[in-house]
Formats: sequence, structure tokens, C-alpha cells
Amino acid sequence: MTAQPSQLSPVKLGLAVAWPAFWTGVPIKIVLGLLLLAMGQHPWEFPGLAFLLLLSIPVDIWAVGLVGRTVFLERLGLQPPASLGLTLWWQGAALYATYGALACFLERQTIDMSQSVAGKIMDIGLMKVLPVAERISIELVLWGSVSAVVLLTLALGGLFLFGKLVQWQADAASPASAPYEARVHQWDLMRVPADQPLMLTVFAATGVTLVLLFWAVMPVTTPHPHESYKQDEKKAAPALKPTEALQKAERVLTQAEASVQALEAKAKKSKGKAAAPAKKEAAKPKKA
Amino acid sequence: MQPKLKSKVRCTDREVGEVTRVIVDPLSLEVSHIVVGGNGVGGAERQVPMSEVQSVADDLIQLRTTSGALAKFPPLKRDEYVTTHEVEIAHLEDRLHVESGEVLVPLPTLERNVPRRTFFTNLTHAIGAFVALPFAFPVLKYLMKPMYAPFDNRWLKVGNVNRIKTDDVGVQFKYKKIVKEAFMPEAEVDKNVWILKASPAVLEEVYKGKDMEFRDQAGRLVWTNKKDIPYVVFSGKCPHLGCGYKWRKVPKLGKEIFLCPCHLSIYDPSGKVLDGPAPRPLDPLPIRVDAAGNIQIIDIEFKAGTKAQTRIV
Amino acid sequence: MSAQPNLLEKVIAFVDERVGLKTLQAKMLNEPVPGGSRWAYVFGSCLLFIFIMQVVTGVLLMFYYVPSADHAYASTQYIIHEVDYGWFILSYHFWGSSAMVVMVFAHMSQVFLWGAYKSPREMIWLVGLGLFGIVMAFGFTGYLLPWDQRAYWATTVGVEIMDKAPIVGDFLARFLKGGPTPGQMTLSRFFVIHVMILPATLMGLAGLHLFLFRKAGPAGPFRGTPDELKAKTDYFFPRQVWKDMVAMGAVFATICSLAFIEPVVLLEEATPDPGEYHPEPEWYFLFLFQLLRLKIFSGEFGQFLGGVAIPGAFMVLLAALPFIDRSPERNIFKRPVALVGWILIMTSILIFTVSAIINREFLD
Repeated sequence: MTAQPSQLSPVKLGLAVAWPAFWTGVPIKIVLGLLLLAMGQHPWEFPGLAFLLLLSIPVDIWAVGLVGRTVFLERLGLQPPASLGLTLWWQGAALYATYGALACFLERQTIDMSQSVAGKIMDIGLMKVLPVAERISIELVLWGSVSAVVLLTLALGGLFLFGKLVQWQADAASPASAPYEARVHQWDLMRVPADQPLMLTVFAATGVTLVLLFWAVMPVTTPHPHESYKQDEKKAAPALKPTEALQKAERVLTQAEASVQALEAKAKKSKGKAAAPAKKEAAKPKKA
Repeated sequence: MQPKLKSKVRCTDREVGEVTRVIVDPLSLEVSHIVVGGNGVGGAERQVPMSEVQSVADDLIQLRTTSGALAKFPPLKRDEYVTTHEVEIAHLEDRLHVESGEVLVPLPTLERNVPRRTFFTNLTHAIGAFVALPFAFPVLKYLMKPMYAPFDNRWLKVGNVNRIKTDDVGVQFKYKKIVKEAFMPEAEVDKNVWILKASPAVLEEVYKGKDMEFRDQAGRLVWTNKKDIPYVVFSGKCPHLGCGYKWRKVPKLGKEIFLCPCHLSIYDPSGKVLDGPAPRPLDPLPIRVDAAGNIQIIDIEFKAGTKAQTRIV
Repeated sequence: MSAQPNLLEKVIAFVDERVGLKTLQAKMLNEPVPGGSRWAYVFGSCLLFIFIMQVVTGVLLMFYYVPSADHAYASTQYIIHEVDYGWFILSYHFWGSSAMVVMVFAHMSQVFLWGAYKSPREMIWLVGLGLFGIVMAFGFTGYLLPWDQRAYWATTVGVEIMDKAPIVGDFLARFLKGGPTPGQMTLSRFFVIHVMILPATLMGLAGLHLFLFRKAGPAGPFRGTPDELKAKTDYFFPRQVWKDMVAMGAVFATICSLAFIEPVVLLEEATPDPGEYHPEPEWYFLFLFQLLRLKIFSGEFGQFLGGVAIPGAFMVLLAALPFIDRSPERNIFKRPVALVGWILIMTSILIFTVSAIINREFLD
């Protein structure tokens, strides 16, 4: 990093924009991913993935724009062109779709091939006598190093191409005549919004909404219960039909009363038989 | 005004030097002496009490004495002193102003922009508030889990009515209840209730002409004690503070009552409070008696110490 | 300017008069960061944040967890299956411990690569190494507490390795186990170490670490002319604090996400017979575990060499680093030995960790 505006190599330029832009977007995407997970969706599978990719578009455009403008001002000493973010984003997306897909394919092939070659090497008599742990590590180093080197090369290639895209924009940009300190101030103050209270209110409101949504959707009990854990069966209160029970009790009572009266009448007739207290026992309600 | 370091010192006749040091009294936090050094004092620094100072100006201290008399002031014994950096004296910086200027450090240029500073201050607070906020509600529910356990409405066998021989006499029925708390294995606890066979007068006192209803947390009816059933069961816990109470004959009164030994609450056979700190009568529980005379109850506990009857178990 | 100070302002003025609050706050927050606030500097603050969250979730877990061999497993299962959001609190605590180890590696690497261990920051580095040891000890002791097969056997194997240390090994192993074999005594000791001793030690050392750091001042970037550094210098508050906050938020969201992706699921309750289960330590000890499988470390001396001597020697090397490397050069690209050494160590750890994972298939 120097105070003088400099010419950066395409790889360095690509890295200077891509690396911070990636990490700028990450906190927002993690929050989105978390919400998806709380809802029971996997952010790496459809439909969650589609949702995440869709919402990533404005985030990435903003991130690439912000980082791009910073790099232009501070390191290239150039005035960033208008809608730098959008331009770099769609060009980058096109690059990712074409070169990226090719690179993924090539890397996959490399991994497969190097793994099979390494496997064959390990089958050579000399290697076969080695103990298991050593064999695992050696085989891993064999195919791993080849795959890593290819991955690094492909990544550098991608950064090179992206850097060229950035350079393309830089070539069309006009120089920023201000000294270093002023340029640093310029990108620093770019981060301060014009209407602070509005921005902060919107931020706070979004935060509150997301938190409330999180609370509403997250599962109360574990989504992965242990197979042999017996949930404490809450002893369901025996199905009570209170009105039925009451009516039954009423009926029993009236019957009992009637029988009591009959017995009392009988007792009066047959004087001397003290049966009344005993009959009261019969008035007990039957089990509900 | 306090004397400033490096200000010139003048006697009545001529200038004698400058203030090289200042001595502060650690208790009163006031300047007690100035130390005069520099030209015209023959080498040693002289310790001059503030009482000898006639006037203090920004750059000039006027002494009352002559330059000749200056020599009678004692020389400074530096070993007997420490600097204010070597000892912590509370609030000394607030009171001491012996430097004639300030030492300044520039604000970084980026920090001079007030809107920038306030924006990042506010944004930091905003993000900070949200960082752990998602924890608040789950943590609250987590801690509250066992606090409002659902009610257990099991019927428990406590004994048989053949133990009750006389009307309006309290008979204690002890029983065992199986409890399972959280992850603990099942345990047996000893509980007791008081049951009496109530005469119509006592029954009327207990029920006051209405059937007694027992409900669960959702308000649904669990059981109704019919007012005609003569068997009444009282919870074994005194409604004052939950102690176990007893049935006693009181010779003075010539009658039998329920007596709680903890704070001497006294209840009549219908559970009504006769004396003592109990806020409400004894709590009746759901009871049912089958044809063979076996008594079953639902073990309910109510909050102790309140006038209102609130079920807690 | 308000005519009459409101209540809050009056309270602040009251405290400020007695404590010097405003000056104290200014001193704490207005620390100039040469070269400006950096995302590379957030790892230390993130560590503090993760630790605080571990304390919070740990204390919450203690509301229900019982550290006795009879109830440890049942109470942990209770937390997972019965208590509202208990699964989430426990899973957060579990993944938080992994995050702490990752962050410790990130923080140590950043300090190493920026040469911020060099004079006059040697003491900060040494205290930091102590903190590193404590974090590993936290992970080791906490792992036993659920008392399932994984926990029990990982601890058994780990303590056996410690046994191989010369002279003190047997004593140390018995001290930790609370006996010749692991049991209730082990659980009690691990619990008190995990919950009382280590937190107190960590808080003390972390305080010292911060104090020494403030005394020495931030090292700043290893490149840049004085003009560039001056142009970009800002204060700790608000810019660096803001970056720290964003990083903390991202870390928090990541740990929560992991808790959702893979909530804690226990194995069967611990038994003295491992049965079908193959003992394995936590992932951040796997590289050591795999190392000990190599033939060169077989036998009693070999196990001592691989399990105690080599890791011990490496820690001694790290401790001696600021005294061996006296060159004031901090640019990593001009310190080839340091750069290559770092890459080699990180790659080796990675290779052995992955080997350990591959090795699992061979055991089935």
C-alpha cells in the first residue's frame, strides 16, 4: 500500500476487490442463512438456496460497489465511475457462471483423477507394507497437494480475469487529483449516510422484525431427538366428562333419596327399627 | 491563583530567580511552599512558605522579604519528597493548576468529522443491541420451564371410611404419593390429609349451600364435591404457611379443634378459623368414596398465606 | 444546549465528579489505532465475546445439569428434550467451544503473522499462550460432562496420554481422574475445574492480557509510510469497536446456525465397556490423536514422544519465540522462515486432522 496511486497487477487488483467484497456480504448472508435454518430450511438446498441467492444479489451489488469505490480512491487514485457496483457485479456473475463452472468441473476432475492415481500408487508393493495411519496420510498428501495446487491456480486465474474486469473500469475512469489523505477521507465519509436517523431507524426496525421472526419460527424442542429417549408422557388427565358425571351423580342421589324415603316410611311403620342413619350411607354417589 | 512553575520570583528589592518546584500539602491539596531557584540565591534552592508570598501573578511571584533575608529559608531537602506521579492522591489533578499551559494531542483527521463519529457510535450501539438479543426470549422460556408445572389430577387411595367412628371428629389419613421430578427417578413421599364425617351443621359450614368445584389451569372442571356428601377431606397443610396441623381436644373450651403447632392457628371441625394468623379456612380437597368405603382424593396444594385460594399443585 | 440538565445528565455528572468517569471513558475509548481500525484486529474481541457467551450459556446449563454419575446423562437429556429451547442453549455452548478454538488459532496466527509478539510485546504473547492452554483445557474438561460414551472414552484416552509424561505423568493422571480409573471422582473434578477454576484463571489472565496490550499500544500494520499511517489513524471507538461488533454479530449468527444444522445428540450413557464405540477426542485434538497412531510413536517411549514431548517442545518454542526472534522486521513477506513455518504447521495440522477423519472408515 503506498500513498501514490499505483498500477496493480490484475491478480492483486482482483483480490483487492473480491476479498473485502466477499467478507462485506458475509455477515448479512449469515443472518439470512440463520433465519432459514430457524424455519427448518437448509440454506444449501432448494428452496432455501434460491431464497438466499436471490437476496444475495442486492447485497453483493452494494458490497462490490462499496469496496470498488474504496479501492479506486485509495489505491488507484481514480474517481470511481457511476454504478461501479452494478457493472462489476453482473460482469463478475457472468464470469462466475462461465469460468467458475469450468473451474469447478476441472477441479472435480483433478480430485477424482489424483485420488485414483494416489490409490494406485499406494497399491505398489513398497507402499503396501506401510501401516494404515501412515498410508492414509501419505495418500492424502499425494492427492491433496495436486488438488490444492490446481485449485490455487484456478483461483488465481479467476482473480486475474476479475482483475481485468476491474482494470477495464479503471481505464475508463478519470484520475482523482486530491492528495492521499483527502482520498482516504472521501471513501471513509462515503460510509456515512446522508440521513442518519432514517438509516438507523430502518436498521433498528429491520433488526427487531428479524429477531421477532426468529423467535416465532425457532423450534421449542430439539429437531434431532435421541432415538431411544422416551418423552415424559404427561399423564393425560383421564377423559373427564364433568357434566355427565354430575348428571350421573344427580340421578344416583335422587334414586337414593327416594329409596331413603321409602325406607323411612317403612321404618315408621315398623317402629323401633333405627334404620335411618344406615340409609344415609346409601346416598353416597357412585364412582363417577 | 496558584503559583505557576517557571514564573519569576521577586523580592522587595530585586528579582531573585524562578519557581523551580511547587510543594503541595497532601491533605488540604493546597500549595504550601514554592521552591525558588535560579540566579542570585547562591546555588541551593530555597523552600519558601506561601505565607511569605505577597502576590501571585501569571508570571511573577512577589515575596514580602528582601533578597538578603532569602538565605534564612531552608534549602530544599529533595529526599524528603516524592513527585505526584509516585503517589496517588485523590482529586489532586482537579485542584492543582501549576502548569502555565496545556499539553495537547491532535485528534486524528478521520475523527474530526462529527457526523461520521456519531454515525458509527449509533450504528455500534444498534448492532450491539442485536448481537445477543435473539437469546432473550429462549433464555426466559428455558429458565421458566419448571415454574408452572401442569397439575396432577390423579386420584389417590388414602384409606377406608371404617376408620371414622364418630361424626365431626378429624381423622388423619397418611398415604404415600409417587412423584417424578424432571429427570430424577420416581420417589415416594409421605403425605397426609384430615378427613371427617361431617354432621349437617358442619357440612353446611363447609359448603355454605354450594357444591365445591375444582378446576385445572385451563379453567376446566376437574371434579365437584357435592354438598350432601358427609365426608370432607382437608389438605394436611395449614393455609397460613404450610405446616402440618393436628386434631386436639381443648379442655378449656371443652371441644375438639384443629390446631397448628407452628403459629397456633385454630380451626373448628368445619375448617373455619377460630383464632390465629391463618388467612383463610382449611382447604377442602376433591373426595370420592366408593361402595366399599374406600376413600380417594386428588392431592391439591394451595398457595399458603393468602386470603384467596390459588392452586399450585 | 439544554438549559436544565435532565435526570440522566445529572446522574452522570454525579458519578463523574466522584470517579472521573468522563476522563476514564475518554482514555479507554480514544485509543489511537495507527493505520486505522482493521478487520484483522477483531479476533481478540471476538474471543472475549465468545467467552462471555460460553459463560452465559454455561450458567444456564447449570440450572438443570447435575454433575453426578447417576444423573449427568439424564439431566443432559432432560435439557435437550424437555426444557424449552434447552437443545438450543446446549448446542450453542457446544459449537461455541469449537468456535473458541478456531478463533484462538485465528488470533494467534494474526499476531504471529503481524509480528506483534516482538519487543516490547513479549509478555502479552506469553500470557496469550497461557490463555491458549486454558482454552484447550476448557474443551477437554467440558467434553466429559454429558457422561455419554463419546465423552467418557475421549476423556479416558486423553488422560492416558497425559499419564505418559515423565515423573509427573502418573500423579497428574490420578489427580485428574480422582483415582486409578475414571468415575464419579473424575466427573466432580472435571466439573469444578471447568466451572470454577478455569473461568477464574481465564478472566484473570485475560485482564492481564488486555492491560499489557493497552500499555504497549497496538502494533498496527506492518507496512505503510508514517504519512499513510497518520492519514488513516482513527480511534478505537467508534470505528474499531464497530468492526468488532459486526464480527461478533457474524460469529454469533454462525454459532447459532451450527446449533440448528447439527444440534447436540448424545450417544448412549457411558459404560465401562466401550462396545462398538471407537473412542475419539474433540476435533481440535484429532491431529494429535492421529499423530499417535503412527508407527514411530508406538511403544511407551514413542507415545511419550508423540503425545507429550513433541507438543511440549512446540509450546516451549512458541514461548521462546519473542526471545529467539529479535529482528524488528514485522512484514511477514520479509520473514520467510516465519511464513514458511506457519504454513507448514497449519498444513500439518490440517493433514493429520483430515487423516483422522478418513481413518474412521478403516475402523468400521
